[in-house]
Amino acid sequence: MRMAVGLEVHKTRRLSVWVLCLVMVIAVVALSGMNLFSENAREGFADPAAQPWEFLLLNQVMISAMTSPVLVAVLAGRQVDIEHQGQGWFLARVSGLGPGLLCRAKAVVLGLALTLTVVAQCVLLLIAGLVVGIEVAPPVALWARYGLFLLLVNLALLGLHLWLAARVDNQLVGLGVGLLGAFYAVYALLMPTWVAYVLPWGYYAAISPVAMADDQLIEAAPIPWAFALFLCAVAALFLGACRHLDRAEGGPA
Amino acid sequence: MNHVITTDGLTKTYGSRTVVDSLDLRVPEGCVYGFLGPNGSGKSTTMKMLLSLLRPDRGEISVLGRTMDRRTRHELSPLIGSLIESPPGYGHLTGRENMAIVRRMLGLTELQVERAVATVRLRDQMDKPVRAYSLGMKQRLGIAMALAREPRLLILDEPTNGLDPAGIEEIRDLLTSLAGEGVTVMVSSHLLDEVDRMASVLGILGRGRLIFQGTRAELFDRSTPDLILRTPDPERVLALGLPAVRTHEGLCLTGSSDDDTADLVRRLVHHDVPVHGLHRVRRSLEEVFMDLTGREGLS
Repeated sequence: MRMAVGLEVHKTRRLSVWVLCLVMVIAVVALSGMNLFSENAREGFADPAAQPWEFLLLNQVMISAMTSPVLVAVLAGRQVDIEHQGQGWFLARVSGLGPGLLCRAKAVVLGLALTLTVVAQCVLLLIAGLVVGIEVAPPVALWARYGLFLLLVNLALLGLHLWLAARVDNQLVGLGVGLLGAFYAVYALLMPTWVAYVLPWGYYAAISPVAMADDQLIEAAPIPWAFALFLCAVAALFLGACRHLDRAEGGPA
Repeated sequence: MNHVITTDGLTKTYGSRTVVDSLDLRVPEGCVYGFLGPNGSGKSTTMKMLLSLLRPDRGEISVLGRTMDRRTRHELSPLIGSLIESPPGYGHLTGRENMAIVRRMLGLTELQVERAVATVRLRDQMDKPVRAYSLGMKQRLGIAMALAREPRLLILDEPTNGLDPAGIEEIRDLLTSLAGEGVTVMVSSHLLDEVDRMASVLGILGRGRLIFQGTRAELFDRSTPDLILRTPDPERVLALGLPAVRTHEGLCLTGSSDDDTADLVRRLVHHDVPVHGLHRVRRSLEEVFMDLTGREGLS
């Protein structure tokens, strides 16, 4: 596995994985932090009742729900497409590495990229809030919990997209699914809570750490057992699919 | 004679369609084995089964003296270089980076990689991205990947595909020289002439079945060449009721054995037919092949 991960790192050269992640960090921070510069928001920087951090966090939830599914689909598609285009499945097979192992290794490498992306988004938004002058103490624990949950949802969807990209040659299919997922994630934020638990992309809304209640933002959290079940199910499906790919004949597609 | 590859009753079926049917291959050690067959005759499927990329429905495969299956594949893979269908190579990486991946994947040394690259004469192109390679260069890179592990057996599916005549010549020289060094090479090709010039043993597939296996000389023995009779009076020959056809060379008689030929000469002498010449047509490998495969043609 270590060798396979090393190979995947080698293959990320010139795939612009890190550039895409950086662009996404900049986009999320810029779009989420736009309100920090409005006069209205500035007036409440020193007032805990104005909830400046909570509103910033809610912006991040919305922008992340919009962009993360697309980023995950693009990263998975690019990292898998090279195997379809370059006969990489065959090359690995005759060298003793199954397609399932390659997919797991890709999940590790892209998982690391997504981890750094989420950490950078959260940290930079906190720094941005402090730099523009929010005087209220930031809810670091809440933010950290959201960052962790966002990462877990990203990793779960990464598994699904890697499997899809391996099974379907045409990477536009994966990208299309990612785009539809992004729409669903955003709409799930505006719909009744149960909608967020219907499809995997809804979890971008379910993990929101804040929710509107009578013009106020209150602390929120996903239903613990549903979230845990979702993560365990996706992990089991991904590992099962990888095992199946290793046992199947020829390439995965 | 030692056989590097043997298969017994190798069969692969997709649904109701039998793609490879009861194949008994015998590939001798240190030879270039030419694997021929019309399009869809099962060459690639057979090669994939030999590499354990596909599971046979029936039959046994032995490679380098060991049964080849999913359990032994990992131990045998490092000893077998292969190139099936299109050549592998990550387009966004350079040739050097691709070879570095192969080196890490197989735990090879820099020297082994350098030697393989030098063998296919790709040294000057190693810093170009593979997507900028011509098909011929990609084929060479694929062969370098197969050679880098210094295999005892090379299984190459159409390795000269897309190469210009000079490239084909180079690959042919390379494969024959590898066989000279003791590497067994199994090569399929759609160019009959190509295989004819490098293979010492031939295997011919037709509709998934092995129609012929043996040396070139044995192949020609299997097919009776046409007989050409040159006479200034063909009408008299035809009046004798002989199954002859007029050609620009003379009268052509197909399927005549040596005994039939002796009988023919007796009858011509008996009927006082003037004979200017009687000879067998020299047949190309392609004609023999077409005869054996029932005129299915080549892939």
